[in-house]
Amino acid sequence: MRHPYDTATGTIVLGALLSAALVAIARLLMT
Amino acid sequence: MTIDLLLRWTHFIAGIIWVGHNYSSVIQRPSWRPLLRSDLSDDQSPRFQALLNREHGIFRWASVIAWSAGIVMLWRRGWLPGALSLHAGLAPIGIGMYLGTLMMANVWLVLWPHQQKVLGLKPAALDERLRCARITHLSSRTNTMLSIPLLLFMAASAHGGIAAG
Repeated sequence: MRHPYDTATGTIVLGALLSAALVAIARLLMT
Repeated sequence: MTIDLLLRWTHFIAGIIWVGHNYSSVIQRPSWRPLLRSDLSDDQSPRFQALLNREHGIFRWASVIAWSAGIVMLWRRGWLPGALSLHAGLAPIGIGMYLGTLMMANVWLVLWPHQQKVLGLKPAALDERLRCARITHLSSRTNTMLSIPLLLFMAASAHGGIAAG
């Protein structure tokens, strides 16, 4: 079964999406 | 030179050695290529030998050094409770700390036990070794993926830029 981790691009895109989600959470925590 | 700077230097070098192994893997083998039965059934096969040669444990121990230096830095600054509870201004480094902890746990509790089976260091049937090879790939790529936000939060902790407004 294919997984986003099976390509470098998929891995990097997931990392970028997680970064954006965590930044949003961090901003909420910092207010 | 202060102890804090020495710890930060250690944290950087060990961290680069650790995730550098992940990035090197992505550059050299960007796409998943499954192991074949013949790769594992013959200990002298080129792919098995390549796997064995890459298994030197340096990145596993670098993960322990990087993580420990990070925790000691937080503790010495009195930031550990705030980081653990993701409190206000310590939320970014707290998130980084949790990501790093997750990554080290992934190395030692997921990747390494499965890699031992792939390499035949722990007894396992051939089918099980092939299954474990898939898990080690996903585990390694999970850490590559997690390193992206981890580096962002390390940078944000030192240099700011996350807070709204």
